[in-house]
Amino acid sequence: MLTRTSSVDRLAVSQVAFSSIIQLGDSCYLNGFSRALAVQREAEFFHGNEGNFPSYAIFRRPLPLPPINEAISISRYNATPLIRANKIHVTAVSNSSILHVGNTKHVSMEVRIKHIRQLLPRGDEQDTK
Amino acid sequence: MNFEVHNHILHVENIRIIGVASSSLFMVGDAETIQLSSAFDTPAESLIIGPFVPLEQDVTPGYANPNL
Repeated sequence: MLTRTSSVDRLAVSQVAFSSIIQLGDSCYLNGFSRALAVQREAEFFHGNEGNFPSYAIFRRPLPLPPINEAISISRYNATPLIRANKIHVTAVSNSSILHVGNTKHVSMEVRIKHIRQLLPRGDEQDTK
Repeated sequence: MNFEVHNHILHVENIRIIGVASSSLFMVGDAETIQLSSAFDTPAESLIIGPFVPLEQDVTPGYANPNL
């Protein structure tokens, strides 16, 4: 099978943060993993050493993935050997995300996010008037 | 099962994306297998109204040294 070539004329990315990747060219395996504790508090009150991932069930539970060894025979016929894009503009790539130009074989990405909101007792909040 | 794919012309002019976040993938190209999993938790008990109590301390070995 002849592979296709990816061709991008202009690629503009403003920000790449938190273990994100821009990959130009072919790759074989892509594995991304990201976990976050998103704590929002009504007032600014943050300790530096807070947050223990294993104490929350969402970070411990196994995530079942569909099997990739199904009995299926795939045949691809690439009449045009090119995937073309003229201009790509991405504002931000974040939290173990991948921007990939080129071919790859196997991709496996996982994310786990836990949200926690802490509000002040009613009457204690700052007067906004 | 036999699965036959015929790829003809694929030509995109402009792509504008605000954000690719949380282990997402934006790809210009071909792939054999893609597996994406996501767990997102905002349960009712995660809304805490009352005096601020710090979260449990990070005890992950390696980067949870309280003296740092």
